[in-house]
Amino acid sequence: ATEWSVSLWSKRRAFTEHVEKLAELVSEKTNGEFKLNISYGGLSKNKENLDGIAIGAFEMAQFCSFYHKDKNPSITVTELPFSKNLSLQDISDISLKIYQHPIVKKDLARWDATLLMPSPLPQYNIIGVGDTPESLAEFKGRRLRGPGGITNVMSKLGAVKTGVAANEVRQALDAGVIDTVAFAPHAHMAFGSIQVGKWATTNLNLGTGECPVVVNTLALESLKPEFHKALMDSVPEALEYYINNYENNVVGKYEALLEEKGITKVNFSKEQTLELQALSEDVRQQWIKDNSKRFKAKELFEYMQSLVSEKHMESRVAEYKQISAF
Amino acid sequence: MSGASVIVEDQSLVSRLDRIFLKLEAFLNLIGGLAIFLIVLLAVANILGRKLFDTPVNGYIDWMEQFMAFFAFLGISYCQRFGGHIRMDIVVGKLSRRWLWLTEAFSCLLMFGISLILVFGAYSHFERAYVNGDSSFDIGLPTWPSKLVVPVMLAILCLRLLLNIWGYLRAFYFNLEKPAAVPMIQSTSEQAIHETDGLTDNNNDSDKNTKV
Amino acid sequence: MIEAFLSVEPIEMGIWITAFMLLMVVAGMRVAFAAAIAGFLGLLWYFTAKFGFERAFGVAVKMAGTIPHSKVSSSALSLIPVFILIGFLAYYAGLTKALFEAAKRWLGWLPGGMAVATVFSTAGFAAVSGASVATSAVFARIAIPEMLKLGYDKRFAGGVTAAGGTLASLIPPSAILVIYAIIVEQDVGALLMAGFIPGVVSALIYGALVVGLAMMNPKFGPPIKGYSLSEKMKSLPPTLPIFFVVAIIIFSVYGGWGTPTEAGSLGAFVVFIMAVINGMKWHNFRDAVMEAGKLTVMIFTIIWGVLLYVRFLGFVDLPREFSDWIGGLEQNPFITLLFILLAYAVLGMFMDAIGMLLLTLPVVFPAIIALNGGPDVTAAESAFGVSGTGCAIWFGIIVVKMAEFCLITPPIGLNCFVVAGVRPDLSVQDVFRGVTPFFIADVITIAVLIAFPAIVLWLPKLTMGIQ
Ligand code: NA
Ligand code: NA
Repeated sequence: ATEWSVSLWSKRRAFTEHVEKLAELVSEKTNGEFKLNISYGGLSKNKENLDGIAIGAFEMAQFCSFYHKDKNPSITVTELPFSKNLSLQDISDISLKIYQHPIVKKDLARWDATLLMPSPLPQYNIIGVGDTPESLAEFKGRRLRGPGGITNVMSKLGAVKTGVAANEVRQALDAGVIDTVAFAPHAHMAFGSIQVGKWATTNLNLGTGECPVVVNTLALESLKPEFHKALMDSVPEALEYYINNYENNVVGKYEALLEEKGITKVNFSKEQTLELQALSEDVRQQWIKDNSKRFKAKELFEYMQSLVSEKHMESRVAEYKQISAF
Repeated sequence: MSGASVIVEDQSLVSRLDRIFLKLEAFLNLIGGLAIFLIVLLAVANILGRKLFDTPVNGYIDWMEQFMAFFAFLGISYCQRFGGHIRMDIVVGKLSRRWLWLTEAFSCLLMFGISLILVFGAYSHFERAYVNGDSSFDIGLPTWPSKLVVPVMLAILCLRLLLNIWGYLRAFYFNLEKPAAVPMIQSTSEQAIHETDGLTDNNNDSDKNTKV
Repeated sequence: MIEAFLSVEPIEMGIWITAFMLLMVVAGMRVAFAAAIAGFLGLLWYFTAKFGFERAFGVAVKMAGTIPHSKVSSSALSLIPVFILIGFLAYYAGLTKALFEAAKRWLGWLPGGMAVATVFSTAGFAAVSGASVATSAVFARIAIPEMLKLGYDKRFAGGVTAAGGTLASLIPPSAILVIYAIIVEQDVGALLMAGFIPGVVSALIYGALVVGLAMMNPKFGPPIKGYSLSEKMKSLPPTLPIFFVVAIIIFSVYGGWGTPTEAGSLGAFVVFIMAVINGMKWHNFRDAVMEAGKLTVMIFTIIWGVLLYVRFLGFVDLPREFSDWIGGLEQNPFITLLFILLAYAVLGMFMDAIGMLLLTLPVVFPAIIALNGGPDVTAAESAFGVSGTGCAIWFGIIVVKMAEFCLITPPIGLNCFVVAGVRPDLSVQDVFRGVTPFFIADVITIAVLIAFPAIVLWLPKLTMGIQ
């Protein structure tokens, strides 16, 4: 029997369900001959999962690219603000395509890592304490915790980027260290911002987190062909399971909690969205500039942009078809 | 107030080397201690900046994390020089003198072995960050300087352990009662009195009036 | 031979490696390095069984090499050096001696008065110090010489100082409560608040214990009598800075000024300013940072050394085996809780408090919450008579008290080592012997806290609206 160690962190949650499902499927397909042993934090610190893969200490791991952008500059492209509302399935499809791009493959090859599947997260939204912002100008002076793309855009409106560890967010909100935090829905619930928030944005659309699952390349290549096939064949089903679970259980629970806690919803108008989009453009250009030293950043960016537009068109067409069906 | 043990000094070569090496170790430990004070100042600047001017220290958490390795490691060899890393001396304390020195030498040899292994491991951890790239969460500070501290300080610890091994083997060979340059298990009352005197001499005025 | 060695079950190897580590510790190897050696050998065995020795050696060296840096570079741990520094600065600023002097004048008339004064001045000092070991280190320098001069038994003097130091972790601010809150994702403010009354109760129990022992044993050490009221009153103003620092820390944490690390730093800064005003010279300051630096290194070295061993345990999955076993028990939840606390007592015999909590809480905490009836259970429907949130806070205080208890249990109770380390005339076994009565008192305290959760939860309910 072949046993792989899988390094995740924290605890089992919606964010890790695809890996759990993958382990289940792979074991099923190989009659238990190929096992994925999942460990939550026992094998590595989350910020060092790529190091563990490079060392060969474990065969599979999950990480988030914004933890250490210099370790994985190329895949931060999927975190850029594109001001488009995409479904989890779209985000997942885009990531999988980006993973196949030669620049990205080369970037991760430095860690002996092969990208296996994404952990698609919906667009981040901001939950805040204090006065509900009535205009974009009212974000000035707010202390915001969040990933690079979003905080870079919001700081152009005068928000102050303030670093706080995720698990200290709740307390930092209580203590006034920060007053706004951008998270995916599961994290707003896991880290308690939803418990104390007064208002929440609903259509920020300034980007999301890229948190791939990777495997050690040598381990992948030296798998028996039937195990290799079992692993690769299980990826789509594991992702489907993850997306269903996230959409039906997490998003619904999040929406219900927003209602239950009486949190004011901040919905950006068309004009405000356009303004945010304009600011995002600067952030995107900055990304190209910063990364051009390391790889053909413009090429990768344009590829990403085309994928986003394609998905956006598809969903518009689908919408149109639905409307015209009446 | 130099630490847990009083280290015997004499004119032997190992003792002279010990004192030269101590200068380096004390300097590094001082930097480590000052790094703690520095994060105190950083936190105060952050809290005041936020409360008074709405401008917290940019990347405060990132700076804190990078500092951690400095005060966690800069004093590691200094601490060993004074026998400051905790241990149980119940059993070895009962050994006869020669056996004690031999056991101590062997114990230091094992410590040397694991430290040397970790020098290479920690260097490779640094090397990955330096060659492949690695940066902190918020403001993208490079992490390699703080990762480099670890193998460098462990290498310095290895040198200190070599001095310890030398000192203990010398004590074993010549059957010395109070060998120079090595930490000894202490239980004698003279040393107790010595330490207490040192304390009161060294204290500032506010402590003087509280003597019984 | 080698084949047989490599085919050992991982769990069995976990137990062998653990036994080997304990052997090294008993044989006088410095604990941090004994744990690191055990961890490295364990990893080497694990990877050799998986990849063969040639490749395994490199993997094990590199994996082990990530741990020292990885484990110390966490901003949450920055509280520890800050609280150690505050303790040393307070010492050099004369605050600790002022506190001890005041306690001596006000409480010295009691039987065993000097030891009672030690208990209550460590409790007072706990209000500016978040680190148990630092408190014991500081008071080993101040209180032990005075007790010895009065003819107290040196082992008892060492024991009372080691035990008194543990109060620092319950009375806010407390580094270890912060670590607990971070690991289990609970509100730090509520936990710090919850620690206050149990901390005071512990101090009262220690105090009563000393008085009782002194009354039973006439050769115990004389009370200190004869201080006039004006002499007593005069001893109070020098302690005021401590109350000032307490106010700053309370306002910071509860008044929305900043995080605990920031509050601790602000406290350290204020003590630093006071020390300067009190005439602290450069060489005093240098001594303070040198000592704080050395103690910090000692604690951090144990942390990464133990965590290197814990990493090996992670690879052989020993923690999960433990939780499966606990989860499979079909019995009264209180019995299970008792088993868990006993397991902590055993673990605490050879692990430091932080390493122990880091290792176990991710597994034990969800088990406890589930035992109680889930995170959203009401007090009325729960197994332990506390709500979901209440259970998280209550268990936190119990487990921290438990971890503190382990700071004074052999063979590696850190506080006893620190006291022995500071006092060359005391051996570790002397201190362990002297601390035994307090060890028994702690068992009683823990039983009381389990039986009456209200002692823990009353204050956070009152001040923070915890249900
Ligand atoms: Na305290
Ligand atoms: Na001693």
